[in-house]
Amino acid sequence: MKVQFKRIGLAVAFSPTSQALLTEACRWTSLHRAELVLVHVGPRTPAAEEQMRQLVGTVSITPTILWREGNPVKEILGFCKSENIDLLVAGALKKENLLQNYIGTVARKIMRKADCSILMIQNPSVESKLVQNIVVNAEDSPFVEQAIEVACAIGEWRKTQWIHITRELKLLGLALAANEQCTEDEYHESMQGMVREEVDEVEKMLGHIPHQHVKINIKMLSGKSGFELALFAERKKADLLVVGAPERRFSLLDRIFPHDLEYIFANMPCDLLVVNPKKKKHG
Amino acid sequence: MGKLSHADVVHLLMQLSIMLLLGRLLSEALRKFKQPAVIGEILAGILLGPTILGMVKPEWFQALYPVPSPTATVLTGFVQVAVIMLLFIAGLEVDLHIVWQQGKQALSTSFLGLIVPFSFGFIFPYFFPDFFGIADQHEKLTFALFMGTAMAITALPVIVRILMDLNLFKSKMGMLVVTSAMVDDLVGWLIFSVILGMIGKQGDSFSILNTVLLTITFVAVMLTLGRGLLNRILPWINKKLAWPGGVLSISLALCFLGAAFTEYIGLHAIFGAFIIGVAFGDSKHFSERAKEIVHQFINNIFAPLFFVSIGLRVNFITNFDWALTSVILLIAFAGKIIGSGLGTRLGGFSWRESIAASFGMNARGAMEIILGLVALENGLINERVFVSLVIMALITSITSGPLMKWVLKR
Repeated sequence: MKVQFKRIGLAVAFSPTSQALLTEACRWTSLHRAELVLVHVGPRTPAAEEQMRQLVGTVSITPTILWREGNPVKEILGFCKSENIDLLVAGALKKENLLQNYIGTVARKIMRKADCSILMIQNPSVESKLVQNIVVNAEDSPFVEQAIEVACAIGEWRKTQWIHITRELKLLGLALAANEQCTEDEYHESMQGMVREEVDEVEKMLGHIPHQHVKINIKMLSGKSGFELALFAERKKADLLVVGAPERRFSLLDRIFPHDLEYIFANMPCDLLVVNPKKKKHG
Repeated sequence: MGKLSHADVVHLLMQLSIMLLLGRLLSEALRKFKQPAVIGEILAGILLGPTILGMVKPEWFQALYPVPSPTATVLTGFVQVAVIMLLFIAGLEVDLHIVWQQGKQALSTSFLGLIVPFSFGFIFPYFFPDFFGIADQHEKLTFALFMGTAMAITALPVIVRILMDLNLFKSKMGMLVVTSAMVDDLVGWLIFSVILGMIGKQGDSFSILNTVLLTITFVAVMLTLGRGLLNRILPWINKKLAWPGGVLSISLALCFLGAAFTEYIGLHAIFGAFIIGVAFGDSKHFSERAKEIVHQFINNIFAPLFFVSIGLRVNFITNFDWALTSVILLIAFAGKIIGSGLGTRLGGFSWRESIAASFGMNARGAMEIILGLVALENGLINERVFVSLVIMALITSITSGPLMKWVLKR
């Protein structure tokens, strides 16, 4: 299933980064030949309308503008649904404090509950930034292939140097310890076998995804997957982390016994793209 | 600190050496048949203990493992420490974050995989206590609760090994089975801790309510505050102390501290070690490599001493009761196959896959033997029941792999 971002949404809060975020959203809109829809949650006053007019005036695309009032999270999620948004672009802080993590900021709440793909940008810029390293998580999501496909497309578009595709050796410590009845050679063979299996899996997926102009590095991670993924992205100085959306929405318990993505939401190593073509699947 | 005589030191070292050597020898022999090491180690104990050596050459057995003697006391200490360490690694294996990630499916599978065998294990001893050798009415309840727990517990490493052999470890079904086994173990040890608290030691038994409250408080504190604290100190340990020495010493030190604390407050020491293990295992800063090192260190040095020692203390022939063993085996197979099978089926798998998964979950392995031994030491079960439980643990472990393969091939 090819991922298509036909309708791109942007929540405008009139913050200092709004213009940069809009420019970033316009880049994605042009690339995908999509429609851009802006939403502002707040009273539609003449001053707000003027601010919006000025903001939109800085870009070449003419977006559709919608005004909503009420709870920002609820309204933005409702906007994504009613407007059939494929990709929501939003700004996010790198880190939440402990209280924010449990209560959840607007951006994080949207990340946890949205039914469409989301691009969270930490430091949006009006100038087009280089995207030299993209890390893709090829695990724990029904949309792994789509995540790789989107990452490869971005890689080709932004002339990315490396795309690092990560797989996880799950419960490696336990698996190796359970492998007690083997000789040293068998032990190494079993370890190599586990790695080979994962690499084969990724190569199989790459077989039908165009990626001729980007260099691919397949990397194995072990440990708490989201945490290790964030560490790896930091180590590689990644500009973008692409992950497939999980099968279900997150609850508070996912923050207590963190889901992989919760580690990333809590401390975003770089810009984050959560690929979620769920809506398409359900028609 | 007390001192052993020169002769005692030589004697103790000989005992340890013989246990490790024979345990390894028989484990290697069983490796040829793809069987877990624990079976070879139990057989080594049976050979060295009253069952074989004690029958054939009683004077040799007495000379090698005299009771009472200073070496016997030290050996008991070794075994006690081994049990605590084994429970620590059992705790390390429980990965709460993977369990939660599997979602409701894992919870429903593990719930049925726990409740059905527990009910089977509880009902039979409760209504037919005489058959199990229980006369006292109060004992009847604790014994039935124990048997329920013994039927519910699973052997995670055996399951992992089987799933790896079948190339199913990382599959959806594999992860469901592994996480369900983790939940069953966690709940099983919680229940067992409550049972041990109920019978108490030296007559200082707690009320059920006190024991349950103590257990839940300890678990809640360790898995919230304790886990948070570990997440703060582990990065410092990894960064500042020698690796893996630092993390190994500190984790085992905290394991013993937790074990001492639970023993002090009236819960069994093994429970503290288990929960500290869960807290460590769940920390994102406790690496998989560190986990493997702890596993290998304990599994290959302390575990053999523990499993060989079992055969040294119990006569497997005089205490073998074929009727009791058959009934326990029947309850064990029926409970897990029905419970886990239904649970996996409800989790969305086909009947064939569900039955295969239930055969995997049927392996009881080392955990059952530890559970049995602690129950024996605390006067909860007699030697006949213990022998039957050990045989059940071995048979379920040996058969689960082939049965799973057979069902999946059909």
